[in-house]
Amino acid sequence: MANYFNTLPLREKLNQLGVCEFMDNAEFADGVNALKGKKIVVVGCGAQGLNQGLNLRDSGLDVSYTLRKEAIESKRDSWKNATENNFKVGTYEELIPSADVVVNLTPDKQHTAVVNAIMPLMKQGSTLLYSHGFNIVEEGMQIRKDITVIMVAPKCPGSEVRAEYVRGFGVPTLIAVHPENDPEGKGLAQAKAYCVGTGGHRAGVLKSSFVAEVKSDLMGEQTILCGLLQTGSILSFDKMIEKGIDAGYASKLVQYGVEVITEALKHGGVSGMMDRLSNVAKVKAFEVSEELKDIMRPLFQKHQDDIMSGEFSRIMMEDWANGDKNLLAWRAETGETAFEKTPAGDVKIGEQEYFDNYLLMVAFVRAGVELAFETMVEAGIKPESAYYESLHETPLIANTIARKKLFEMNRVISDTAEYGCYLFDQACKPLLADFMKKVNTDLVGKNFNEGKDGSVDNRRLVEINEILRSHQVEVVGVKLRKAMTAMKAIKTA
Amino acid sequence: MSQPVVHIQNLNLQYQQSLVLQDLNWTILSGENWLLDGESGNGKTSLAKVIAGLLAASGNIKINFNDTNKLTAKVLLVESWYQFKNLEGVANFYYQQRYTSQQAKETLTVKAELAYYAKENHLSIDDVEPILEIFNFSSLQNSQLIELSSGEHKKLQLVKALWLKPQVLILDQPYTGLDFKSRKSLNLLLDEAASAGVTLILISNDDDLPSSINRFATIVNKKLVTVNTKIDLQQFIPQRENKTIPTFLRTSPVYSSQQIAKMENIQISYGDKKVLKNVSWEVKAGEKWLLQGHNGSGKSTLLSLINGDHPQSYANTLYLFGNKRGSGESIWDIKQHIGLISPEFHWYFDASATVWESVASGLYDSVGLFRQLPYSKSILVDELVEYFGLTEEKNRLLNTLPLGAQRLVLLARTIIKNPELLILDEPCQGLDKQQTQHFNQLVDELCSNGMTLIYVGHFESQLPNCLEKKIVLDNGEVILIEKIDKESKKHKASDALSFALSI
Ligand SMILES: NC(=O)c1ccc[n+]([C@@H]2O[C@H](COP(=O)([O-])OP(=O)(O)OC[C@H]3O[C@@H](n4cnc5c(N)ncnc54)[C@H](OP(=O)(O)O)[C@@H]3O)[C@@H](O)[C@H]2O)c1
Ligand SMILES: [Mg+2]
Repeated sequence: MANYFNTLPLREKLNQLGVCEFMDNAEFADGVNALKGKKIVVVGCGAQGLNQGLNLRDSGLDVSYTLRKEAIESKRDSWKNATENNFKVGTYEELIPSADVVVNLTPDKQHTAVVNAIMPLMKQGSTLLYSHGFNIVEEGMQIRKDITVIMVAPKCPGSEVRAEYVRGFGVPTLIAVHPENDPEGKGLAQAKAYCVGTGGHRAGVLKSSFVAEVKSDLMGEQTILCGLLQTGSILSFDKMIEKGIDAGYASKLVQYGVEVITEALKHGGVSGMMDRLSNVAKVKAFEVSEELKDIMRPLFQKHQDDIMSGEFSRIMMEDWANGDKNLLAWRAETGETAFEKTPAGDVKIGEQEYFDNYLLMVAFVRAGVELAFETMVEAGIKPESAYYESLHETPLIANTIARKKLFEMNRVISDTAEYGCYLFDQACKPLLADFMKKVNTDLVGKNFNEGKDGSVDNRRLVEINEILRSHQVEVVGVKLRKAMTAMKAIKTA
Repeated sequence: MSQPVVHIQNLNLQYQQSLVLQDLNWTILSGENWLLDGESGNGKTSLAKVIAGLLAASGNIKINFNDTNKLTAKVLLVESWYQFKNLEGVANFYYQQRYTSQQAKETLTVKAELAYYAKENHLSIDDVEPILEIFNFSSLQNSQLIELSSGEHKKLQLVKALWLKPQVLILDQPYTGLDFKSRKSLNLLLDEAASAGVTLILISNDDDLPSSINRFATIVNKKLVTVNTKIDLQQFIPQRENKTIPTFLRTSPVYSSQQIAKMENIQISYGDKKVLKNVSWEVKAGEKWLLQGHNGSGKSTLLSLINGDHPQSYANTLYLFGNKRGSGESIWDIKQHIGLISPEFHWYFDASATVWESVASGLYDSVGLFRQLPYSKSILVDELVEYFGLTEEKNRLLNTLPLGAQRLVLLARTIIKNPELLILDEPCQGLDKQQTQHFNQLVDELCSNGMTLIYVGHFESQLPNCLEKKIVLDNGEVILIEKIDKESKKHKASDALSFALSI
């Protein structure tokens, strides 16, 4: 199979990358009607599978699960998840032939095998739905021409998909129709209905394409979302230990700091986060983040280039074929870092203290969000898509670090994201070596404002505020956040 | 004479610009066990937190522990608000989560939780067995915390406190959610603790108290006032005026079906554990039901079926508002007919919503408000907020209000739609006597217009008058369905009945 994106002429590449439309509420007026009475069969009952299915059924749709034989025979967790919640469960042979919509919610790495097994069983004119487009775009999976191929991708972990639905809301979602597989022209109506069924329509829906979703999703998760949070956390912790800060304090500051700091992004974007600092601290964070942007820009560009050219997925699939050699080695290495091994101390850290004593992370987050966004937009991804995959998801991922450090983050994200995260981290740490040599405890571990009189140059401050607020990620952010502010605050510390 | 156990002088406590307690003095001597009562929101809970060292206040607060005593040198507060955590230390759950079976186990089992508590406080597991026995808790050892009912969570909290035996034990509304028998048991255990030397401070508005309680106080105008008997406390609860209910709540609900709910041989189980067995029950439009049963007997599960919250309802024979469950309706189609409140619903409500938004969200059955209200609706919200005396607080965040006030907000949310069916599962937790009385009068009035009611309440003395029928669950089974005899109810015969059932 060839990389689908690479088979396209440039014009069509740009065309598909540029699909991006923030959908109006009125477009969902038809509710779940396009799927009413249709048989929806979900393959896999894991994090996304179970929770999407519960929501769809509670929206009045007909949902059942099909699992691989072994899972049914040995009554694996996926089988229990489905049966104990009273869903019908059957083998591929039993359920796929009568399915109107088959939903593939198995891990991305398994998609080729799974689709090859189910496609011959799918009925004429049925629909295949994904929550991530990797299989179609990067592996170039060819789907029978009578089958409609659509995507509904919630931009949240599965547990949030359920929690937000039952409280009457939903999570922001991307929907798309694969242009090669929309024989009856029903794809969009079905994707919208499915999105209503999961509750996504209440929280902001972006009409995207398989290509745009994959190229932006991969970029976001490798750089700002997972990669940079990992690198920044490890380097910050090591610096504090080097400078003699108490290990328990350092561990707690790093573990919960990312969550508290990025929580501010949800409400006020990058400038909202920077506004949490005093004026002197803000000026400093701005300068540090400018420097970080200069240092890291080539790395961000390399990641985006490799994602666009298919080089990234090629080497990752090579690793799959190689028994996950690199992935497993990097996972083990991450597990052995001092940060991961040091439990958070029993110290109280106030909410504001996380900002004042962890200015370095504020700078990392600003640099990472803006760089990821800029690099995506330069590569032809539309600003709205870039926003979802950078700023929007950062606090959600940071929350997983607060729960159980890097281990938890890498467990919750998809296998593809985990691989990309390590790949970035491996390259980023050496790149920042010289920069980190200059960093002292005023940036991480101690209150930056201490011993300063707090005065700043008026013109400089105004200039900085202006630069922060007029950045494109802030301009689209203001618009998109209006639709999503109702999302519940995720709080840990 | 020995030093007082607790000695408080000129205590001042400020909360968000306003003073809650002012120059408060209190001396608690050894051998004294206090009842602290009074109007909801008068600062009782704050005072308890200050004594337990959970809230900082200015003034002189001295606790004198007795070193010759075997009891743990500690002030322990059993809070009325209880929040358990998942394995990652997060208390981020949602209301329906308890009913959904998920293999990824998120919370500890009761057994593991007790083992953890033992380790943390250097206690012996052997010592907790008899207490578990008394509270009928032994069989729950392997249950996950998330599976427990609100009453069971309350028991677990009390078990821990009685096990630890601190020198000073403060209990904030410990009876809420406990069934009749457990309340009796708790009183016996508290008396036992008192005779072993524990100093008790009990915050409660219940009538039945441990006999060891020998001192009485309330907080009036931010200061402590002591009285001689419990009866003397009544005078400090201000008479609130009886307002007329808003007109939009005086119209009869329009029924889409005469059949509200019909259940045929309902079976609900988690793994091997059966929580409802063969339950059949029919609720018709306009009926007023009392639902009773011990803690953990399956009441909330039963109600969750009616409210569209239980995944296993799809595998059972259940009709709601005339439609068979699972015939293409959404949970939102069901909920639009219902106004529901329960202790769990309160626990998991979005505390970051404002008072006004919380009430308004009842129009859409959402937890938190996600839409712009049309003007015609927003005036109804204003009217109801005013009726509940919450206008001054309407822009405050729910979690900045005392529990009683939060409860009033959620009660207003429950009726804002003038729903066909009201489901009130222990609605008056956290309210003082008068507020409870007022609310029950309101329920009576709503019901006289034809609203259907299902009411859960453990306190027989605190029920609305309109109740006509009663269903009793025991261990997941229906053991009684009968008409309520209004005469005998006045004589509290039902209390005797529940007692008889419990042994
Ligand atoms: N995780 C997220 O936050 C997230 C967010 C948005 C979209 N997505 C997308 O959602 C999809 C599912 O991800 P997930 O995180 O929900 O996965 P997951 O939790 O790992 O669940 C995988 C499910 O697939 C089954 N499965 C695994 N290998 C299989 C195979 N070879 N054949 C058949 N079934 C198999 C598993 O059951 P058994 O092993 O018991 O058979 C399990 O039920 C992916 O496309 C992912 O990119 C994920
Ligand atoms: Mg992703």
